[in-house]
This record gives sequence, C-alpha cells and structure tokens, in this order.
Amino acid sequence: MARLILTRLVLFVPTLFAASVILFIAINVVPGSAARSALGVDATPQAIMRFEASNGLNRPLAVQYTEWLGKALRGDLGTSFQNRVPVAPEILKRLPTTLELAILAFLLANAIALPLGALAALRHRGTADIAISTLATILGAIPSFWLATLLVLIFSLRLKLLPAGGYTPFFDNPRQNLTQMILPAVSLGLVSSALLLRIMRTTMLEVLNSDYIRTAHAKGAPEWIVITRHALRNALIPYLTVGAVEFGFLFGGVVVIEDIFRLPGIGSLVLVGIINRDYPVLLGSALVITIIVLFANMLVDTFAGLLDPRQLRPREAGR
Amino acid sequence: MSAFADYSVRRHGLLTLGVALVAMVVLSAVFAPWIAPYSPYDLDVAVMLEGPSRAHWLGTDELGRDVLSRTIFAAQISVKVALFAVGVGLTGGTIIGMLAAYCGGLVDMVLMRLMELLFSFPAILLAVVLMASLGTNVLNAMLAIGIIFIPGFARLARASTLSALQQQYVEAARSIGMSHSRIIMRELLPNVVTPLLVEAAVAFAYAVLLESALSFLGLGAQPPEPSWGNMLNTGRGFMAQAPWLSIVPGSALFLCVLGFNLLGDGLRDMLDPHLRD
Repeated sequence: MARLILTRLVLFVPTLFAASVILFIAINVVPGSAARSALGVDATPQAIMRFEASNGLNRPLAVQYTEWLGKALRGDLGTSFQNRVPVAPEILKRLPTTLELAILAFLLANAIALPLGALAALRHRGTADIAISTLATILGAIPSFWLATLLVLIFSLRLKLLPAGGYTPFFDNPRQNLTQMILPAVSLGLVSSALLLRIMRTTMLEVLNSDYIRTAHAKGAPEWIVITRHALRNALIPYLTVGAVEFGFLFGGVVVIEDIFRLPGIGSLVLVGIINRDYPVLLGSALVITIIVLFANMLVDTFAGLLDPRQLRPREAGR
Repeated sequence: MSAFADYSVRRHGLLTLGVALVAMVVLSAVFAPWIAPYSPYDLDVAVMLEGPSRAHWLGTDELGRDVLSRTIFAAQISVKVALFAVGVGLTGGTIIGMLAAYCGGLVDMVLMRLMELLFSFPAILLAVVLMASLGTNVLNAMLAIGIIFIPGFARLARASTLSALQQQYVEAARSIGMSHSRIIMRELLPNVVTPLLVEAAVAFAYAVLLESALSFLGLGAQPPEPSWGNMLNTGRGFMAQAPWLSIVPGSALFLCVLGFNLLGDGLRDMLDPHLRD
C-alpha cells in the first residue's frame, strides 16, 4: 500500500509541473496580450513597452515561466497588477469558501446519486428506474447557473426562506453559514448528481448481472447482504473514478456559482482576474483550482487502486 | 406490452423527442429573421419590462426589446458556436488520436499524456483562462471551447484507431505497400468516424452549455447581440420585477441541451448496441 501511495505521489509532481506550463502558456498564448489587456485597446505602443518592462513581461516566455515557477514553489504567486497586493494570501483567504462549496455540493450529489442509482438498477426497467432515469436526463440538461437563478427566484425572492447571497465564515456563525450555502450547494450538487446517477445505475447493473452475484444468490445469501457487501462495493470502484472527474467539473461550476451568490471564493477571484485583466491573480487562482482538482483525482485513483488491486496490474506489468 | 418492449418504446420516444428539440433549435436559428415577430435589437422604451401580452408573447426586456424574438435569434449564436467548437475539437482530436495510435511508442505516450492533462482541467476554467489571452468575444469563445473538446475526441479516436489497426484489411493494405497517409485516410478514418460523430452530438450539448456559461459571465457574446447566456445575465438584475427575463432564455437553453443529450444517447444506443443496458 505504501508503494502504491508513493508511486502516485511521485507521478503527481510532473503532472503538476505540466499543468502549470499549460496554464502559463494558455494565458500567454497571444504575445503581449497581458499588457494590452491590462492597459486597454487604446494603449500606445510606448505605454505597452513601459508596462512590459516594469512587470518583466518583455523577457522570453521561458525565462518568465522559470522565474514565476521558482517563486510559486516558495509560495509567492506574484503581485496583483491592479492593486499591487500579493496574490497568494488573497487565495488562501478565499480557499475555505470554495472548498466548503465544492465539498457540500459533492456530498449532496453523491447523497442523491448513490441510493437513487442503486435503486434504479435494482428496479431495472420498472417504474422507479424510468422515473430516476428521467430525473437524471432532466438534471443533466439544466445549466447550474440557470438552476441557481430559479432557486433564488423561488426560495429567496418569492418565499423569502433563504438568502440570495452573501457569506459568513463557518466558524463565525455555523448556522448562518450553512443557511447561506444551501442554495449555492444545491445548484451545483443537483446538476452534478446527474452524471453520477447514470454511472451508478450502469455500474450497479453490470455488477448485478455478474456471475458472483448469481453465485451469492444461489448460495442463499440474504438479498441485503448481496446488495451491500457484494454489489455496492464492486460498483463503487468505477463510480469513484467518474466521481473524481465530476469533482473537477464541479470546480469549473464554482466559478459561475460564486459569482451568482457573491461568495468570496477562488472562483470569483478567477473572474476578478479576467475582468480586471489582472494576470497574476488569474494565473494564481486558476493554478490553485487545478492543483485541488488534480489532487482529488490522485486521491481517488489511489483509493480505487486500494479497493481493487487488479487496476494496478497492467501498469506494473508494463514497467 | 412486455416490460422490455415498453422500455424500447420509451427509448425510441426519447430519441424522437431529442430529434424534435434539435430540429426546433436548428430551424429557429436558420429561419430566425422570418419567424421572429420583431428585430432582436428594436428598442421600445414605452414597453420596458412588460410581462407577456398579445403584442409581446413572452414579454419585453429592460430596453423594451421583444424577449421571444431575442430568444429565437439567440439560437443562432448557440448553433454557430456549437458547430464551430465541435468542428475544432473533432478535427484536432481525430488528428491527434489517430496519429498517437498509428505511430505508437513515444509519440503516443507524449500526445496522450498531454491530452489526459488537458482533460483533467475543469472545462470552464480552461475556457476562461484561454479567453483572458485571446480576448472576450464569440469567435474566441468558439475557439476556446473547441480546444477544450480536443482531448475527449483524441482519446476516442485513439481507441477506435487501435481497434481498427488489429483488422486484417489494414494488414493487407500494408502488405501491398500502401503509404501511411493512404492507410490512415482510406482504411482507418472511415472506421473511426462513427463513434466520433456520436460523441459529437453529446459534445454539441456541452458546447451550447459552455458558450452560455461564458456569455453569462460576460466573456462570450457581447450585448446587444442576443445569446441565452447574456440574456440570463441581464435577467439576474430584474428577477423580482421581470422573472420572464430569466425563465424564457433559460428554458430555451435547457430544451436545446436536453435535445442534443437525448439525440446523442439515442444515437449511441443505436450504433453501439452493447452499450444498451
């Protein structure tokens, strides 16, 4: 087990490095765009040159990247073009909000997908299956930002049950914090549950049709033991892998949902970065979200490997 | 009727519904100038934020523009963005995936690791970052969304090419001395195109969603050009007094995405029977 975890950690480093290169290139894909964007379309060539010189943007891209990476490894993600404050502390301040939103939404998505997906498979082609599959189809087509808008319209403006925005840190006032997080988490979680629901149903169906389940039934094992011990456990492995990918998608949704509910998280910082044309802010916040997503993927990959050692064999055989 | 037959009828019905919804969106986009009752840009301050009426079936917006007409014209942006973005993703992904599978070895490893890495980025985040550099407009939104689609298509193209490479007709083509480019274009491409086209239908739905999300954030289509995303963004400011500004474009977006999803699922079921439950 230790070797498995170590291997995953070692592989994580080059992945992270490559991700940072991609982000850096993506932001600088058009040469000079940082200065032009920061100063506006009417900026004179002289102003652009001055801006590039003062921010070190006139050097080759590889040099800029090396310097940025060196500082990033020491925890320095640069200084905002806009207000000259360091980016890293601002991201750290906003990190708990984003993590809380993502985790709450992910928990909700799984709380819906796991039981309903399993139930749909157990009642295959029955009324429950049709109802749950229809629900998954509908949820899969609803944009999270539209759902958020509708939820605000119904629960905040019409029924006046929940706040339409704002954020109180959890440790300042847990009750108020959770009340404020209900609508954002539901908007993200409901939409995310669609894919997870379909995956749970499909994997559970495959498992229920396998020989060892038939054998367990033939040996007279009680139904609930067959379902919980044999079927669910095996269905969870592919489900987990897709779950990790969905967690990544969910982080993409965070950018939009934080904007709608005025949550001071990293997602809204990404938008601040792009609206103010503040590249250090944009690059730093995008990098932190990417690190969280890649880390979650690695964790799930490792966990799935621990649950099912067969997944490791092809790679080990190839070495 | 047996449960299985009942289930098959339902699946067929869903595919038909998908085709109908997609047809409705595409026809709205193509014939928008003829079917929309007003121009999407016509301002009328006398009817600002008016609810649904005989003159304006789905109400008017904050500048007195007809919401129904703007919703119909917005279909043009969605279809245009989806077509272009899926085209970029499909072309780029097919070339990369087929090249990786055909060359194998180091080329395969480097290309596919890069694709895996791109795939692991949250799509909206990558689109936002790309648009920061490219600039915020519809064309760049199309390009950014297209780039995001490349890894998905590349993985599928690689898998299909690897499977096709095992077939005897490829061996036969090699043995008669056919060039690499002819083998790829004549023998492999026709055999990988079907699963890619099915994936394209699903990608269409996602492209429409992404474009709307970008426009909602103010990064895609810019006002006064109508897009479901920027209409929803405008509607946010008038939710209490004019909820139709959020409900109408959102419903159109939902129906469009639902249509492409159902179409993609149905095509996948039809063309790849072992995926059926």
